[in-house]
Amino acid sequence: MTKKKTVISKVSDAEIRRLVVERLRALPSGKQISIGSQGSFTKDELIKKVKSGDKLGKKMIKVELAFLRALKKGEFFDEQEPSHN
Amino acid sequence: MNKSLLITRPNHDYAVNYLFYWSASIINLARRKNFQTIDLSGKKANRFDFAGRVNKINPSFIFFNGHGNETQITGQKKEILVSTKRNLNLLKNRIIFARSCSSAKKLGPKSVSLGAKTFIGYKEPFIFVSDPRMVAKPLSDNTAALFLKPSNLVATTLIKGHSSSEANTRAKKAFKRNIKKLLTSETKREDASVLRFLFWDMKHQVCLGDPDAVL
Repeated sequence: MTKKKTVISKVSDAEIRRLVVERLRALPSGKQISIGSQGSFTKDELIKKVKSGDKLGKKMIKVELAFLRALKKGEFFDEQEPSHN
Repeated sequence: MNKSLLITRPNHDYAVNYLFYWSASIINLARRKNFQTIDLSGKKANRFDFAGRVNKINPSFIFFNGHGNETQITGQKKEILVSTKRNLNLLKNRIIFARSCSSAKKLGPKSVSLGAKTFIGYKEPFIFVSDPRMVAKPLSDNTAALFLKPSNLVATTLIKGHSSSEANTRAKKAFKRNIKKLLTSETKREDASVLRFLFWDMKHQVCLGDPDAVL
């Protein structure tokens, strides 16, 4: 029997940035996203931050990837209660 | 220690102005439940008044609304109210809820190690989405409500006499309910796009210290 090889190709940082930018485009244009003391931003401003790769842009990438991973794991539909910590 | 609430509510910018309005209902609830309530709002959310009132009233519950980072929580115009290097002893023997960015990362654990009963807060920036057309009436902003109602549940659950861990869990459940609602209903794609931020806040809200502590 021949073993099937699973090829996992690495996604580059540039590809991740592009993915996050595309997903941020789905945000409504007229809304403000308040991110603590860093300020309140429109989606276009956030997209610029992600493209420039500054600190806030990197945080947005973290936010997006955390959500996508949770979605993949089905975390929103499990019956487990959120832990207190 | 008598049942008492000290709440800070700066209002100097767009984001904290939302928190200012959305935390008003907590003051009303506390008064209805016969809590002695000190409201440090606007200019009164300064270090001098904060320290003075904490020492004088000895509140069992402090609810911070404002900006912050891993090591500090601020008041009006970002004046530092408490930090890992200053005033942290003021949190001793109290239940703390900090609706401010990232303070549960370093300041929270340190306050607990110095004697705070519990510290409920966020290990990362507290993010919320709002509609700037509602800036004059933030309480009617349905988008902001998705974030601020669950977060308010921490304070209301505590005031109603439940434990710190229960307060944290109820708030997280409310975040999760909103997430599920947006995922499963026929929501417009753009409305559903706030999901990532709801998940972020839910994930990073933590309860440090004694989970059984009550007011």
